[in-house]
Amino acid sequence: MAQGWGDGLPLIPPTEARVQDFLVQGGRFPDEVVAFLPPLRSECTVEKIAINAVMAGCTGDAMPLLCAAIEAMADPAFDLAGLNATTGSVVPAIIVNGTIRNRLDIPYQAGCLGGVASPAVAIGRALRLIMRNVAGQLIGSTSQSVYGTPGRVAGILFAEWEERSPWAPLAERRGVKGDAVTAYGAMGTANICDVVANSADGFLDMIAKSMAYPGANGFLPSSAFSETLCAINPIWAEVIARDYPRMEDVQAYLWDKCALPIDWFRPEYRDPIGNLGRIKPDGRVHLVPTPDDVLVMVAGGEGGLHAAMLHSWGTCLSVTRPVVAA
Amino acid sequence: MTMILDPTASLAHDITDPGPDAGDLRGKRIAIRIDMLWRSWDWVSEVWADGLRAEGAHVTFWRSCGRTGEEGVAADRDYAALLANSDMAIVGLGNCGSCTSWTIADALRAAATGIPTIAVATAHFEGLANNLAKRGGRSGLRLHILPYPLDILPKEQVNDIARDHYRSFLRGFGVRSGLVEQSAA
Repeated sequence: MAQGWGDGLPLIPPTEARVQDFLVQGGRFPDEVVAFLPPLRSECTVEKIAINAVMAGCTGDAMPLLCAAIEAMADPAFDLAGLNATTGSVVPAIIVNGTIRNRLDIPYQAGCLGGVASPAVAIGRALRLIMRNVAGQLIGSTSQSVYGTPGRVAGILFAEWEERSPWAPLAERRGVKGDAVTAYGAMGTANICDVVANSADGFLDMIAKSMAYPGANGFLPSSAFSETLCAINPIWAEVIARDYPRMEDVQAYLWDKCALPIDWFRPEYRDPIGNLGRIKPDGRVHLVPTPDDVLVMVAGGEGGLHAAMLHSWGTCLSVTRPVVAA
Repeated sequence: MTMILDPTASLAHDITDPGPDAGDLRGKRIAIRIDMLWRSWDWVSEVWADGLRAEGAHVTFWRSCGRTGEEGVAADRDYAALLANSDMAIVGLGNCGSCTSWTIADALRAAATGIPTIAVATAHFEGLANNLAKRGGRSGLRLHILPYPLDILPKEQVNDIARDHYRSFLRGFGVRSGLVEQSAA
């Protein structure tokens, strides 16, 4: 901690022996450069990943997932340089698909966004330590985050409940079958509760309208585009899929309802939003430009009643990468 | 003895030189990078552009919009073309975290082409701008600092600030002109 390497929680000393064990288990060459991470723009090598992962309490079998997550976050489309410096409270959420979910015990059922005991906490924390120690993201120095978020300590790392999803897995819909990670710039997580709806349209209405709050970054007059993500519990998903078996139709429904009338904004907002061409002929402004920008996945407990929304920070585009076994 | 391994990465190679002075402005093509976020920077840069034109320079504005996806690829291409056709660059505004990051990234890119370059940020983000310039490998990057908060001020007040800062901005940019010499005297 005195070296400035930590996040406030106790760290496991990254001894040479521990790191060596991790590297052997991870099966990658230590000097291999996985990515260049801003703001430091220095080399993120396999060895640096291993050292930080050991400190976080992570085991070596997570190395392929860690590398894939780092590669996804380093993609220029993800805009890690902006994300790591912003005043916003954004943290890269990592969504895991494929059988690796079960091999690494990544949660996708009750408590998947936090609270359930799982190695995902250590993996997420490893990614956060890498962001701190390798990328150089430090509050007050290179990060201007006004509030931060609890997700900046142990990350937001969870999986999709593929077995209970009526639709294809998120990563597969984004072009990567099998083991994969999707990095998404999440402004934390927020809950959507509904104890009345009992139909597909009812659930989707509540989700879409809840996502359309005016302080969402997607509505900023400076945001040319954005994405949004919602996790639907398996009970609701089953009901929704009876009426909307095609994911494209789910996305289209959510996109359509996730909008605000331009008159709802104060006058000084209207010109900047209009200048971006974001006001539709019907006088509404959509949170995101197209239905494709609404990311939907199935996760959460069988208690139903709730969905989770993760708003995007802005123009950082989610990136999906395969997890390649060593 | 147990050896503890270092989890941190080292800083990139650092250039402490601010790069060439702007010098004489007559006939020079000056690129001013603005953005979608800060109306105050639009106003400041308009005031400064009038002054630069009065010194005989040709000013071109370029607005940074989305920097990812297809829009980002197009922006990168347009910015490269702008720099290729400019003799100096004024890059702003660092007035939040991410916009400071992009401001410094674009300023570093301009400086790397060898043209006189200055980044502009507000006081609250001065430390971030300096840190990012250093971590980007060019701690000597010229930086002009405007007051903070700026964007919540009315246009007339921002214009007054722009005029008040114009001479010190020119000096920081290494401009040689009668106005600067008069100011120095």
